Amino acid sequence: MKKWLTFIIVAMLALVLAACTATKDAGKEPEKVKDTKGEEKKEETVAKEKILYLNNGEEPTSFDPSVGFNAVSWSALNNLMEGLTRLAEDHLAVEATAEKIDVSEDGLTYTFTIRETAKWSNGDPVVAGDFVFAWRHMLDPATASPASFLAYFIEGAEAYNTGEGTAEDVAVEAPDEKTLIVKLTAPNEAFLNIITNPSFFPINEKVATADPKWFTEAASFVGNGPFKLASWDHDVSLVFEKNENYWDAAAVKLDKVEWAMVNDPTTEYQMYESGELDESGVPPELAEKLKDSDELRIDDQAGLYFYRLNTSMEPFTNTKIRRAFGLAVNQQEIVDYVTKNGEKPAHGFVTYGFIGPDGKEFRDSVGNLVEFNKDEAKKLLEEGMKEEGYTELPKVELTYSTSPSHQNIAVALQATFKEVLGVDVGLKNIESAVFASEQKEFKYQMSRSSFLHDYADPVNALESFITDSSMNRTTWSNAEYDKLITDIKNETDENKRWELLKQADQLLMEEMPVFPIYYYNQTTLEKPGITGILRHPVGYIDLKYTDKN
Amino acid sequence: MAVYIVKRFFMMIATILIIATLTFFLMHSIPGSPFDEERTTNPTIQANLEKYYKLDQPVAVQYVYYLKSIVTFDFGPSIKKPNETVNSLLARGFPISFELGMITILVAVISGVTLGTFAALRHNGFIDYMAMTFAVVGISVPNFVLATLLIQQVAVTWQLLPPATWSSPLHMILPTLALATGPTAIIARLTRASMLEVLTQDYMKMARAKGLTPFRIVVRHALRNALMPVVTIMGTMLAGILTGTFVIEKIFAIPGMGKYFVESINNRDYPVIMGSTVFYSAFLVFMLFLVDIVYGFLDPRIKLHRKDGDV
Repeated sequence: MKKWLTFIIVAMLALVLAACTATKDAGKEPEKVKDTKGEEKKEETVAKEKILYLNNGEEPTSFDPSVGFNAVSWSALNNLMEGLTRLAEDHLAVEATAEKIDVSEDGLTYTFTIRETAKWSNGDPVVAGDFVFAWRHMLDPATASPASFLAYFIEGAEAYNTGEGTAEDVAVEAPDEKTLIVKLTAPNEAFLNIITNPSFFPINEKVATADPKWFTEAASFVGNGPFKLASWDHDVSLVFEKNENYWDAAAVKLDKVEWAMVNDPTTEYQMYESGELDESGVPPELAEKLKDSDELRIDDQAGLYFYRLNTSMEPFTNTKIRRAFGLAVNQQEIVDYVTKNGEKPAHGFVTYGFIGPDGKEFRDSVGNLVEFNKDEAKKLLEEGMKEEGYTELPKVELTYSTSPSHQNIAVALQATFKEVLGVDVGLKNIESAVFASEQKEFKYQMSRSSFLHDYADPVNALESFITDSSMNRTTWSNAEYDKLITDIKNETDENKRWELLKQADQLLMEEMPVFPIYYYNQTTLEKPGITGILRHPVGYIDLKYTDKN
Repeated sequence: MAVYIVKRFFMMIATILIIATLTFFLMHSIPGSPFDEERTTNPTIQANLEKYYKLDQPVAVQYVYYLKSIVTFDFGPSIKKPNETVNSLLARGFPISFELGMITILVAVISGVTLGTFAALRHNGFIDYMAMTFAVVGISVPNFVLATLLIQQVAVTWQLLPPATWSSPLHMILPTLALATGPTAIIARLTRASMLEVLTQDYMKMARAKGLTPFRIVVRHALRNALMPVVTIMGTMLAGILTGTFVIEKIFAIPGMGKYFVESINNRDYPVIMGSTVFYSAFLVFMLFLVDIVYGFLDPRIKLHRKDGDV
């Protein structure tokens, strides 16, 4: 018996020791806290060090520019690196690492001249070869980059990415250190905007060849953006410091940016309240209470919340019935009483924030294509039922993915369809991953959806609905629409192209394989005294010009 | 005893294997894949990704790879965090969850047993009612409600303690309180109930008759016997708390491993699901095993080594 007692004591000791080592690890951290507190004091007394406290939500998935295809990676990376172009305050792409951009007359060849002063955070000059290296890395099938489709505008890119071509066939060349020549498959108005996307950032070839895992730790990370990565405590925090080697370092006003990783909206808000964060999202439960707050800022986001109708499933095989359901929806009421987050109701598929060659907002020049109309909806339903010979409408089921906000909207729609059309719609709630896979397999009659732009051009949203597109998910197919999209992509005249875009939006809403609900926005609470944080409708948070007083 | 332990050890291995196999096939039977997201998934890109993670192979082949990964304890890279291996995620998250868990358990056991003992000694007195009121509240209020309440009052309104994160001993107070209240209440109630039973036993009168000090009577003779039910629940409670509590870790932004259990399933991040499940079940089974052995010491009536034959 004594032996076993010893065994237990040893086992307990081992546990306690393990606990102690864990505590020792934690013991180091208080010093860090003291350090920052010391710095804060320094800030008050000596120089005014400007530190911005932000929340990234969670650990970035990857700082490899080709791999981390999401906001948690790219919001941070957008400030650590810089592409050839960068989005300015008016959300348009301007020269960044490139100081001069020449476009050939046919719109196919772009020649970029890279700044003499562009440097990496380790002091190396940024050369054209770094872009060639990075873009080939993104397109390499072995990288398995989820963002690689964005580069398919470049000649040879798709072939290489799908394993049919070689890296050398990709039409990106560096004839000398400071010149980069890119050839496109077709003229593309949006190209300079697309390459502001982090997946087009350069990679320091020397660093990446010597250490293929350069992007995983702060010590080995090399960037060329306004900030450099000073420390990265995984799952805990990121610290950025001003990058003195940045070509436009004089414009950067912040000394440091500290990113927490707090993944609970309420906690984030409470940290904001107690002064530990300078920015916070709005927790859904508090949206109504905070909607008049002075610290609330609302920015457009290019994307929308909408519903898909499966055009191969009765009764949505009939256009009039589809339209009846679309016109029965009161977008304004959903925004005012259900989501309550200050969104704009959606009356067309293309979102706000796209300015045409005539200087007018796309949305305004097309006008409201889908608007709540009770009588029209009823009439359309009757006509559609007559056309199909229905005496009774086939059963309709609405499917949404698990989330309280999706549920609220689904319930509101159910009530609307009952009230306006007299149709009893069944509701079905499906776990998100299952929902995403079954929607792609066309298993749902009517299902919720959302779209966020990958690049800032209306065609990005509209091309989802060409026949057999992986984003279509409605089985809808329309030859006229397919042709419109092809024409848009080949049109070099900006005015004509814009006309075609309008026609496509109109046709999509007339046929209504989808009906829109609202356009997304970004609501943020921002402490007074903070200026110059750029949030673009398409793109990632930009702290280059941010100041804190 | 040795035979018993060897036997239990092999049963432990078998249990873990069964759990692992069940998890694997359950995981592959649910629809959806790690790449099913709202955003475009270009078929070629998806094929590239599937090949990279061997998801293009038949399930049977994947199962063999998976068994190999359990034996070598190398679960490969995470799908959603391609820079990291499952092992590095566990190695980073577990010590923090373990630390939070140890502190919580210590607080819960010490305060729970103390409360329960005093409540039993002052049966139907003021202390008893206070302690049991606390216990009822502690059991009924879910820890996430308590957590949010604590942050709002203590951190935001009174500004006494930092609201979240796990960066200094001060930061640890609120999460520990939020997490320990439930277990404290459960332990207090159990201790009280079994203490009440033990205190009426004949050997308690005997102890008093021998002229032992009240402290010695309570600690040596009463508590030792009264702690049996507490030890029984300790095994599962320990494993649950030490390997991370998703909700509390999320609310306080504690970088433990609780979130990997939950998020990996939502994301269909297969390697992380497998790694965390195997790790968790191994840990749980080991804790139950330890508890069984501790039993033998607390209660000499349980003769472990005779169990297989002549009882």
